[in-house]
Amino acid sequence: MINTVVISLGHRFRSDDGVGPYILDRVRQGLGNDAVCIGNGGDVTRLLEDWMNRRVYLVDAACTDSRAPGEVIHLNGLEEELPASLSITSSHGLNLSEAIELGKLMGMLPHALDIYAICGEKFSTGGDLSPAVRISADMVAEYIVTELKTEQSYKPDQV
Amino acid sequence: MPLHRPLPKKAAAMTKSKIIKVDYLARVEGEGALYIRYDDGGVQDVQLKIFEPPRFFEAFLRGRDYLEAPDITARICGICPVAYQMSALHAMEDALGLVPTLELRALRRLIYCGEWIESHVLHIAMLHAPDFLGYPSAVAMAKDHPQIVQRGLQLKKAGNAIVRLLGGREIHPINVRVGGFYRVPRAGELRPLVDELQRARDMAVENARWAASLPFPKFERSTQNPYEFVALSHPDEYPMNEGRIASTRGLNISVADYDQHFTERHVEYTNALHSVLNQRGAYMVGPMARFNLNFDRLSPLVQQVAGEIGFPPFCANPFQSIVVRSLEVLYAFDEALRILENYRRPEEPYLQCQPREAAGYAATEAPRGLLYHRYSLDRDGKITDAKIVPPTSQNQKTIEEDLHSMIPQYLHLPEEKLRWQCEQAIRNYDPCISCSTHFLKLHLERGDRRLP
Repeated sequence: MINTVVISLGHRFRSDDGVGPYILDRVRQGLGNDAVCIGNGGDVTRLLEDWMNRRVYLVDAACTDSRAPGEVIHLNGLEEELPASLSITSSHGLNLSEAIELGKLMGMLPHALDIYAICGEKFSTGGDLSPAVRISADMVAEYIVTELKTEQSYKPDQV
Repeated sequence: MPLHRPLPKKAAAMTKSKIIKVDYLARVEGEGALYIRYDDGGVQDVQLKIFEPPRFFEAFLRGRDYLEAPDITARICGICPVAYQMSALHAMEDALGLVPTLELRALRRLIYCGEWIESHVLHIAMLHAPDFLGYPSAVAMAKDHPQIVQRGLQLKKAGNAIVRLLGGREIHPINVRVGGFYRVPRAGELRPLVDELQRARDMAVENARWAASLPFPKFERSTQNPYEFVALSHPDEYPMNEGRIASTRGLNISVADYDQHFTERHVEYTNALHSVLNQRGAYMVGPMARFNLNFDRLSPLVQQVAGEIGFPPFCANPFQSIVVRSLEVLYAFDEALRILENYRRPEEPYLQCQPREAAGYAATEAPRGLLYHRYSLDRDGKITDAKIVPPTSQNQKTIEEDLHSMIPQYLHLPEEKLRWQCEQAIRNYDPCISCSTHFLKLHLERGDRRLP
């Protein structure tokens, strides 16, 4: 049996960076206790444990100047290449591309990885999403809820 | 001597200086730059430039309630938030005359074990191991050595489990407070940890054996300029939350006397203050300092494993800090299991107190070393003054001195290897520039030739 999980990345008090946790909240509202939702606060190594052998919806914010705020980027994380990270700082953490690469090498990949990244407008301190980002976030959340409700194999487990 | 007399050819060649430049130092936390100018006569200048803007935590703590300090200061670092929480709450308790019960004390030690494991394992397996095995990153290393990363992830997961159980979550835990915890676990909640930690302890033994087998560059300071190692020292236990501040040159002071013996200095090229021991200068804090000053208080298992891998009770080669960290990881698992075996749930989750006008001091052992906090409170418990000295600030000057001493031994290396060696020497300290304030660009330059 393949379990499905929704994982968010991002910080809910960094304006549009909080779009992942926002979608996670909406999925929880839509599915109640049936939802397997994991908020990842930045420990990307933990992703490897959380997503291994599962069907995963991963929701996050995208930071880019080349797309309009609210635009939704949908990627198959196992088949498509992720855009290079904009971060130029060094960190003790891994980024998502590195986590996928490491997962491939370690045999710790999800069974399927749908990434929904919503282009943000502002990433300053604050708890509110930009209007365009919120509209897209609601749409993505609704889509995931519908998918999960109709997914034949969806059997939530306990996390 | 005439100023314009041409130098003999040999002398001219010797004075031609070289500058190493590395624009981006990877596998450290934060942002900074390193500038090294050297010539055949030796290293002329080393500047660890931390240009991350100051973060002003000490300033914006003023006016905040004493209860807020542990959670505010925890935000200084995502890798060692527990250390900030512990130093802050111990300082507040010192100010307010609170003495935690033995049961609360044990739980604090347990969550600190979790953080040491999380932080050390991440550095050992993902950041430092690639240096020794010749890979640019953990991902590249994992292609040939997946078992190193796999073991690291398993060990870190066990550390995460401790912090999550006691702190509510593994990063920036939220259950710690002045006087104790907001909620303390029942014995039954801790029991499932035991099996996981026992398995992880076995893996930690393997990890220490593997670390000891790595090829270490030979490097030790001269006898004229040895390290002064500084760490907490406690008569009965390997130090985490309590103890006196001791050094290998005879320093033995109470934490409240820290400001009389240590001075922070502003240095023009960096935004992080340099900390020095008065009248003595640079010193080293961190795992090697703890280990060298407290070896006999490590658990019998750790001492036994150290003996089996041939690792001495005193280590002065910073490149071997990866072995010391591995032994501390083993200790943290062993200590966590000891605490779990003896666990008695505290009668109250935290001790109550009334605010008063007072000053409080504390130092605890963050994964990277001594973390000092000092606070002054008014009669309502509002913070009027705060001082925080993180380990990386204290090690900055020692890192620079290491490079000064090390580079002459490696001048025969090709530039790329020399640059690598410099970066590795910095990573020996697992610097957290976010704590000291953040990054690193490394410049190595010779004469008028600027390297990319």
